Amino acid sequence: MTLSIDPVGEAGLKFYSKISASISHEIKNSLAVINESAGYLEDVSLMAKKGMAIDVNRMEALAGSMLKQVRRADTITKNMNRLAHSLDEPVCQTDLNALIELMLRLSERTTVTRGIKVSAVFSEPAVTLFTNPFFLQNLIWLILNFAMDLTGDTKAIEMTPAKTASGADIRFTGIHQLTTAAGKTFQEGPVRSILAVLKSTLQFDEKSGIIILQLPDTINK
Amino acid sequence: MTDKVLIVDDEQDFLNIISDRLKARDMNVSTAASAKDAIRCIDEESYDAVVLDLMMPEMDGLQTLKIMKEKNPDLQVILLTGHATVEKGIEAMKLGAMDLLEKPADLATIVERIKRAKAEKIILVEKKSEARIRDILTRKGW
Repeated sequence: MTLSIDPVGEAGLKFYSKISASISHEIKNSLAVINESAGYLEDVSLMAKKGMAIDVNRMEALAGSMLKQVRRADTITKNMNRLAHSLDEPVCQTDLNALIELMLRLSERTTVTRGIKVSAVFSEPAVTLFTNPFFLQNLIWLILNFAMDLTGDTKAIEMTPAKTASGADIRFTGIHQLTTAAGKTFQEGPVRSILAVLKSTLQFDEKSGIIILQLPDTINK
Repeated sequence: MTDKVLIVDDEQDFLNIISDRLKARDMNVSTAASAKDAIRCIDEESYDAVVLDLMMPEMDGLQTLKIMKEKNPDLQVILLTGHATVEKGIEAMKLGAMDLLEKPADLATIVERIKRAKAEKIILVEKKSEARIRDILTRKGW
């Protein structure tokens, strides 16, 4: 039996599952700190029952650490929720700054684990497009994954969205080991299919180490 | 004799609290917030057990485990992870990890594994000593 999967759907599922795994890892880290903090409180309670003095400063620090972890887990969950809701509408008005900021947060664990610093310079005023936010996020994720192996020693990638005459573009800079062959290979398979869905194109500037993602103002035309 | 353990995790809050709790259980605890620091620690000191986070920035737990085992094959490493897959678990065991625990882990389980690691280390040391003595006896022909 052969299993035929639509390449856009497959890429989307892979992206969603990678992000979900990374997020569950982050939440478990927060839970581990909260779990140890609760255990520490149990230890202190037992010692207090035996007449040992309670270190109030340590208790304050512990409460602060628990609150910090709850806030962290809450932010992670909110970001996951935003990603999940990006599938609600096939086309909607999308703020590029907000979408890139979400991608920075969602991919942080992966990029940091690979030793790469990914940042963004946001456009002022914000650029909005009518596009499919989920597949645009998926495409940015694929570009980042591709670019992370090609930064060379700088180990940093910067994303810059900007308005253009036909819509907007996002520049990925810092890809110093970019080659024509690598760019060509990258555009095969799911990337090509997602670019078609988003009616977008990719430009590779090997000399400057830049990838430019060109997006139309609407994919409804 | 107290159990000597090294905890490796990039979560500083986690390191602080778990080391306090293990110290309260009469353990001699050292901590490292990165793989690099952890490798430096095992170069300088001997531990009964190393509790190592699987996912860390720059160098992940499996890479760290591999380097540690190359440096000291007898080192008892317990992997701790919020992200365990069967494949990672199998890979960890193949690389010589003693155990793999999922976060958030029960402290009693961690303590029990550290004690087991220490017992395992003692057996390995005894076996090595025995082999060394046998070798000397054979070579010297006494």
